[in-house]
Amino acid sequence: MEFTLLFAALSGVATAWLAVKLLDRSERQLIPDHTFELVLNAAVIGVVVGRLWAMIAAGTNPISHPGDFIVIRGGVDPLGASLGALGALIWTTRREGLTALDAIAPVALWGLAGWHAGCVITGSCLGAASSLPWALTEAGSDIGRHPVEVYAALLLAAGALMLVRLPVLRPGVAAALALLVAGAARLITEPLRLSLGGGRTGLYVIGVVVAGVAAVALARRDAARAIQNGSPPERQ
Amino acid sequence: MRRALVFLLVLIAACGSDVSQSSGALPPIDGAGIRALIAESDQPLVINIWASWCGPCRSEAPLLNAAHEEFGRQVRFVGIDTQDSQADAAAFINEFGLGGLEHFFDQAGSVRAELGGFGVPVTYFVDATGNVTVHAGIIDERALVLGIDEITGG
Repeated sequence: MEFTLLFAALSGVATAWLAVKLLDRSERQLIPDHTFELVLNAAVIGVVVGRLWAMIAAGTNPISHPGDFIVIRGGVDPLGASLGALGALIWTTRREGLTALDAIAPVALWGLAGWHAGCVITGSCLGAASSLPWALTEAGSDIGRHPVEVYAALLLAAGALMLVRLPVLRPGVAAALALLVAGAARLITEPLRLSLGGGRTGLYVIGVVVAGVAAVALARRDAARAIQNGSPPERQ
Repeated sequence: MRRALVFLLVLIAACGSDVSQSSGALPPIDGAGIRALIAESDQPLVINIWASWCGPCRSEAPLLNAAHEEFGRQVRFVGIDTQDSQADAAAFINEFGLGGLEHFFDQAGSVRAELGGFGVPVTYFVDATGNVTVHAGIIDERALVLGIDEITGG
């Protein structure tokens, strides 16, 4: 059995749990158990959708080969996983609205950072060759490499920290910013990853642009309404 | 009704795989044979031990195919079918379109005994000097490209 993904997932869940506990002590509106449950549900559904997506993309029929599903190191498609997790979050918070997504946003980013940092446990941090002083080498090799997953984890953690330290924003803006940070962290690190076919840079560009436009639109929505009503915009 | 049935049959046939059938049995190989192949190769090698009954092999087969398409000019890709039947091997190669790789048949598993590793699949990365790195178990995209990057000098 392969434990790579399992360790990464456990690392992500542990980091998200820690973030919930720490944020609970801050001034943010957060219901700890509920938030953690929502993030965990989204993560599980994301992994399931991502795995099915990867199987179908690889030409394996999940109905005729159901056992292949558990060969998890065979791949979890990041696009499918992202769409699955986002869909699950939107569905489960549909009655609570955008403010619930905003509360979850930094926790989800911490969880993603933990997922990437899990590479330290699984020994899968390395990317393209590098001669920088902090480059790491594969066991038995003398070729230095970028610890690209650590870069991604640091970018995501910085994004989560930024979201926590920002003043309370208008509904939906924090969630859109979290999507922007998640997309940007992958976009920036993608050229340093070892992948076939040039990676998914195009998709990450689209993700970052869509999230950026959504953040700006949501931030300006209430302001525009307030101008129409002749009163200053209310903050959440 | 009959027209609808004929249309349905034509539609099903059109949706079928058009992968050309592999012809002929895979040539046999053993421990000495793989050592000779490594010695005479003027390119780094990726050697993959697979079997048609092996679930993880199904997951990594498309990856190996994609890697062969991308790195096939720099690296020689060799598949070793083990503990299998020639008919099942041919069906597996056709199903995943692996005809572009060189394949050999090792019923006894002597290649694995020679190069090391356990179970199926196993992937070996052989650099230009003949040094062999073993990856036992299913391989993912990152590990496969990392292994290729290592044997081609980064």
